[in-house]
Amino acid sequence: MRPDEELPLSRRLPVDEDVDRELAYHLAERERELVGQGMDRERARAEAQAAFGDVGKVGAECREITRRTRRAFRRAETVEGLRQDLVLAWRLLRKTPGFTFAAVLTLALGIGANAAIFSVVNQVLLKPLPYEAPEQLVDIVEAHKNGWGNVPWANMLDLRATSRSFQGMASYGSGAATALTSAGPLRIRQAVVSEDFFRIFHVTPMLGRLPVAEEHREGATPVAVVSESFWRAQLGSPADLTTQRIRTMRDYQVIGVLPRGFAFPANADIWVPLELLGPSLNRTAHNWSVVGRLEPGITVETVKRELDTLTARLAAQYQPDFDGTGAIVTPLQSQLTAASRSPLYLLLGASGLLLLAACTNLASSMLARGLARNREVAVRIAIGAGRLRIVRQLFTEATLLALLGCAAGLGLAAVLLRLLVSLAPPALDLAKVRLDGWVLLFTALVGMTTTVLIGLFPALRTSGAEPGLALREGGRTGHSPAERRIWSGLVIAEVALAATLLCGSGLLIRSLGRVLEVDPGFRSDRLLTVAMSLPTAVYEEDAKREQFWTRVLEAVRAIPGVEVAGLTSALPLGGDNSSGSFGIEGVPSGPAGYGPGGAGYRMVSDGYFTAMGIPLLAGRDFDQRDVAGSAPVVIVNQALVHQWFKDKDPIGHRIRLESGMDNQGDGWLTVVGVVGDVRHRALTQPPAPETYVPLRQRPTRSYSVVLTLKTRGDPAQLEPAVRQTLAAVGPDVVPLYATMRERLSASQTDRQFTATILSAFALVALLLAGVGIYGVVSYTAVQRTREMGIRLALGALPAQVRGLIHRGALGQVLLGLGVGLVIAFAATRLMRSLLYEVTTLDPLAFAGSAALLILVAFLASWYPAWRIARLDPMQTIRSE
Amino acid sequence: MPQTPMPLLKGTLDVIILRTLGWGPAHGYAISRWIRQTTGDELQIEEGALYPALRRLEERGWVESSWKTTETGREAKVYRLTSLGRQQLQSELKSWTRYVAAMARVLETRPAEALA
Repeated sequence: MRPDEELPLSRRLPVDEDVDRELAYHLAERERELVGQGMDRERARAEAQAAFGDVGKVGAECREITRRTRRAFRRAETVEGLRQDLVLAWRLLRKTPGFTFAAVLTLALGIGANAAIFSVVNQVLLKPLPYEAPEQLVDIVEAHKNGWGNVPWANMLDLRATSRSFQGMASYGSGAATALTSAGPLRIRQAVVSEDFFRIFHVTPMLGRLPVAEEHREGATPVAVVSESFWRAQLGSPADLTTQRIRTMRDYQVIGVLPRGFAFPANADIWVPLELLGPSLNRTAHNWSVVGRLEPGITVETVKRELDTLTARLAAQYQPDFDGTGAIVTPLQSQLTAASRSPLYLLLGASGLLLLAACTNLASSMLARGLARNREVAVRIAIGAGRLRIVRQLFTEATLLALLGCAAGLGLAAVLLRLLVSLAPPALDLAKVRLDGWVLLFTALVGMTTTVLIGLFPALRTSGAEPGLALREGGRTGHSPAERRIWSGLVIAEVALAATLLCGSGLLIRSLGRVLEVDPGFRSDRLLTVAMSLPTAVYEEDAKREQFWTRVLEAVRAIPGVEVAGLTSALPLGGDNSSGSFGIEGVPSGPAGYGPGGAGYRMVSDGYFTAMGIPLLAGRDFDQRDVAGSAPVVIVNQALVHQWFKDKDPIGHRIRLESGMDNQGDGWLTVVGVVGDVRHRALTQPPAPETYVPLRQRPTRSYSVVLTLKTRGDPAQLEPAVRQTLAAVGPDVVPLYATMRERLSASQTDRQFTATILSAFALVALLLAGVGIYGVVSYTAVQRTREMGIRLALGALPAQVRGLIHRGALGQVLLGLGVGLVIAFAATRLMRSLLYEVTTLDPLAFAGSAALLILVAFLASWYPAWRIARLDPMQTIRSE
Repeated sequence: MPQTPMPLLKGTLDVIILRTLGWGPAHGYAISRWIRQTTGDELQIEEGALYPALRRLEERGWVESSWKTTETGREAKVYRLTSLGRQQLQSELKSWTRYVAAMARVLETRPAEALA
């Protein structure tokens, strides 16, 4: 039997040669037979061919059949090979359940983190807005000399009438309100929208109808549409809307229900026409947001140029009562996601690093495991298994691990996602995040990458393996210097990745600390806040509101636990940042750099500054004198005095708030006091000039007010008493309670969210690095057992031997740390926008990360070092 | 008087090949020679038709092949039955025997009385 016969069919003669040789053999034999019978050669050949038939046709037929046969055979062979590989890989994994469990867990952490973060990124940043042709939707604001502001109503009307780039343009706003419904008073989110709004979003109501053009006019019958969830949960899904009325600013007839899921803007419950409220026509009243739908094919750049031109024309026409200089046009999607983009991409990047760390960790354990299998692999190569086959086997093992890791990772992702949703700031709106098809696709890609990463090193190692050497050494050590270098390299990479993540999270934690250390200008301890919105329809008259607030103050001041009580139209960090420009008497053109954003505008009652712990620096607080009709007064903050009065005493001077801030009389307000600065917009923004006017003198805007209570004890404990009191004073108001501490920490949830998750990633990476260090140190320690035995026998102290082991580990850690810090230097620059008063090279964050890693390295090498140092030297030497 | 050779019934070649290989492995030319000798030129077989038939049998897994050196020292492609092929041969033989017997009966039996 020729060895040929042992080969599979696919490795035999090439098809053409196989066929040609067989047919030629036949013809030659036949010819010879005929010659043997006495025929001459020429005739014999002709006779043989005649008897055979068409050689070309037969050959072609044979080739076709054999090609087909071989193809089928190869396919079957491949499938069978794969099956064998999988069975073998599965058996090997089952033989070492500890390794398999650790490996799958490691991968699941990496893959799970990625899948969870990706689903958030996908939902929040990547998915197109759930409206028709969302790329045509844009947000429009007005550019000013010093920044930007909302487009004033009158300007929006002009732009809408003259621009040729829009299918529609609308102003809108939203806010909390108390609504009186058939179900009693409710605290709701109300959107105020102009004509065109629903057309822009291509909304068709699921029930009833939308407001028609005539209902978007001042003086029209008030109508409202509600969200599907509000209709279902609060109204009880009535099919007939005619009896449904909602009273907020007006007594609205409900005429329609929007389709499920439509919640723009700000998760509104109800939408009412803006025109009905008689919006200010002042061209510096930057009150309403503007959204537009572009004509197909119009780009953001084109429309910006057009709006710039139109705004310039309006400016020329309406100077000096005009402050816009142009337009800023942003796709609606990027405008809505602007705040979450950096933190989410940061977390996605971090989860990528975590996955790399997990893969590196696994690659090194697979390498270690590969060493144990050296002999097996060598035997298989020696008996003739193709090298490709061995590499394929290793990759099959990696694939199987990655598959298991993906499955476990998706399970983990579902849990992580729930955790993310509970930690996320409400603005991120993660409620709709799901592990959908895209996430599965992403996970599959991640899984493939993982397979390559963890299969690569063992495969590289194997392809370079020398079977003879491994067999001669009895498969005992089989650890070449090159392999040792790869392994060290992997551990160094793990340390570097952990260092990078640690530095990043260190910077975020430091920033968070810096933010929380900031002096906001008020005292948040023992402070209870109660937000109240009056149902406008009931409290339409100014006097009625003034009475109400007076009664509220009197009632709560009578509660024993209340030390001081005050009211404000806008709490610091509460999101209401109303501001306007102002002028100073005797300064002709107003302050230099005069423009919108000149000063914050708040209405407060007496007692507010005391309750908030905002110091009165000069003059007096508001008191009984400051009522409707008395001489208009104002209290300003230190920043305003510093900026516009050059720190001179402003008491007695008069200022004037410009842009239609419901001025009375000639509009001049006498400064009667100066208070300390407060960080109003954000803890991270330095105090800006502020003006405070007496709430009782300015009742026009006192619909939404926050009650601030300085309590004697724990503010949360006082809530029931306050609740009871307020229920008696205003049964038709739905108050929202929160301690100032809660509000402060709520204002930092986004920062906390990012910092928490990044830190969790960093800790997992740290743990993985620890495990990696432990693995390599243990191995090295075992390798050096004999050497250590000799050292101990020669009188080395156990402590010295331990030190040697530690030093070996430390070398790798320091190298990894070096690499990691360099990566971190580069990578943390990308997070600059997320940091507050911390440089991207903050020494404390970097040093802390380094110290943590060195500590972990020491702990990880402690056990191997301890074990080797207490060996009996004689035994170790003999054992070799 | 020399008779005209009969054309081969469809599928018959397969049975002939299987039967031939049933005696032992053989290369294509040997099979061809054997058929020629045993049928005594009664059957009209184009010799070339044998080779696609062999390869089809191989495709079905009834025969397998390998290149071997013959007694004359030349390389020839030798076919042999697989165990599957042997089973196939048995079942083909049985059905042929039944077929031939049935044909023989119908052709040789004289009716006892008129059929109509």
